[in-house]
Amino acid sequence: MSQLGDLYKQVVLEHNRHPRHYGAPAHYTHKAEGLNAICGDQVLVFLNVVDDTIASIHFDGESCAISTASASLMCEFLTGKSVSEAHRHFQQFCRLMDKNTPVEHVPELGQVNAIAGVRKFPTRIKSATLCWHAMNAALDGKEFATTEK
Amino acid sequence: MLRDQFPGLNVTVHGKPLVYLDNAATACRPQRVLDAVQEYYTRFNANIHRGVHTLSEIATERFEGARESMARLINAPSARQLVFTRGSTESINLVANTFARERLSAGDEILISYMEHHSNIVPWQLLCQQTGAVLKVIPMNERGELRLETLDELITERTKMLAVVHVSNSLGTINPVKEIIAKAHAREVPVLVDGAQALPHMAVDVQDLDCDFYTISGHKMYGPTGIGILYGKMEHLEAMPPWQGGGEMIAKVTFERTVFNHVPAKFEAGTPNIAGGIGLGAAAEFIMDVGMDKIQARDAELLAYATEKMQAIDGLRLIGTAACKTAVNSFVIDGVHPHDLGTVLDHYGIAIRTGHHCTMPALQFFKVPGTARASFAFYNTHEEIDYFVDCVQKAREMFT
Repeated sequence: MSQLGDLYKQVVLEHNRHPRHYGAPAHYTHKAEGLNAICGDQVLVFLNVVDDTIASIHFDGESCAISTASASLMCEFLTGKSVSEAHRHFQQFCRLMDKNTPVEHVPELGQVNAIAGVRKFPTRIKSATLCWHAMNAALDGKEFATTEK
Repeated sequence: MLRDQFPGLNVTVHGKPLVYLDNAATACRPQRVLDAVQEYYTRFNANIHRGVHTLSEIATERFEGARESMARLINAPSARQLVFTRGSTESINLVANTFARERLSAGDEILISYMEHHSNIVPWQLLCQQTGAVLKVIPMNERGELRLETLDELITERTKMLAVVHVSNSLGTINPVKEIIAKAHAREVPVLVDGAQALPHMAVDVQDLDCDFYTISGHKMYGPTGIGILYGKMEHLEAMPPWQGGGEMIAKVTFERTVFNHVPAKFEAGTPNIAGGIGLGAAAEFIMDVGMDKIQARDAELLAYATEKMQAIDGLRLIGTAACKTAVNSFVIDGVHPHDLGTVLDHYGIAIRTGHHCTMPALQFFKVPGTARASFAFYNTHEEIDYFVDCVQKAREMFT
């Protein structure tokens, strides 16, 4: 069961029980919806960008523990970051989630690394990356994002 | 033991013995089916309906024999009324595009039900877009039973086709299709029954049902993947235009004109899935040898046992509680998302399905984005159900 423990770390379970930055905000400048056709998961990401800085970021929708925790961790981490930093962290996160790369930890991503155990669960990787794709798409001015390449 | 005849059940997953509760997605296959497929490739490997050589003759005989076996299983008047397809999905698309299309004009209506699989929604939707016809839906109640009292009103002079699922894959509901067909026929509306989930669980008699079309997926009824059946009334099959063009479906070809072959060859262009067809025949013989009455009784017993045990789990809500059900239990648990439950159970060696089960409208009705689904077959055991329930409890403790 140790592998299962790598996936559902206490940090992940805790963020799932008490997600941060959850719920649609009244005011935002960017918004995108992440869709996962296979499981029907849906995550909405809202950003309020002021002077090229992410002043606030929220997520909404109903999805699994991995998806919820990943979005909660992402929102905490990206608050206060610049738009270009957010794009760069998106690339880093994608490498972290790519089971074909040797990258198992990206120090710069801090607490977000808690979700890295998903790498060993190919069927669940998209749950973790959906919110990041939505965030990246929102900053690019797109309405929808999928995890398909 | 019947179970011992299913080698696919005898594997380990994450070091645990497999507990296979995903039978509604695809069933396991008995050795007899595997042997039939293997025998074709190793003992009489040849194309069918073509050669005069011995092996081609044997292969043709076995393939046509399989059609006869399937005809016996569903009590069709003649094996010629069975068309080999890739499965229920292709069978429905065939009927939509050859039988229904010709009957439709803008404003005509196609009636389906709320609990249809996407495969019995999307082909009709596409047809509506192309013809200007309108899709109408028979509603259901909170238990997941169709509200048949609405049928008299829903069927109008413009209804040209009714397509309904025999057994719901996500809710387990067994629909009273005989009654639906009688009502539709009284108004001269032809009926297609999607039987993909019925064949593995219950006796089907197409003459007694009096359906116009009945569709079957081989892999759900312990047969190979990629093979299925379309049963149709002969007068329809003969009147329908061909489906795909190619070899086998022709009697004579010149550049000016083609004379089409007779039914069912008219609908079977190209070299078919010969091994799959022969395997499907073996699956039909297997079911008839075991006895559908025995399979049905065992399913009912497993469903009753699993339902009682599952209802005792705190926070568990069954989705689909029809009075008449096959051995399928869809459910949600407070605080545990179906995908997380699926991952945890997988690590205990238990295979279930999670998500929308290709029935998104039905789940929207119950206001859930997805469910976990345990679907049973006669080879499952009480011990497996006990273990499954224990593991669901463990997952619940983990997330709440």
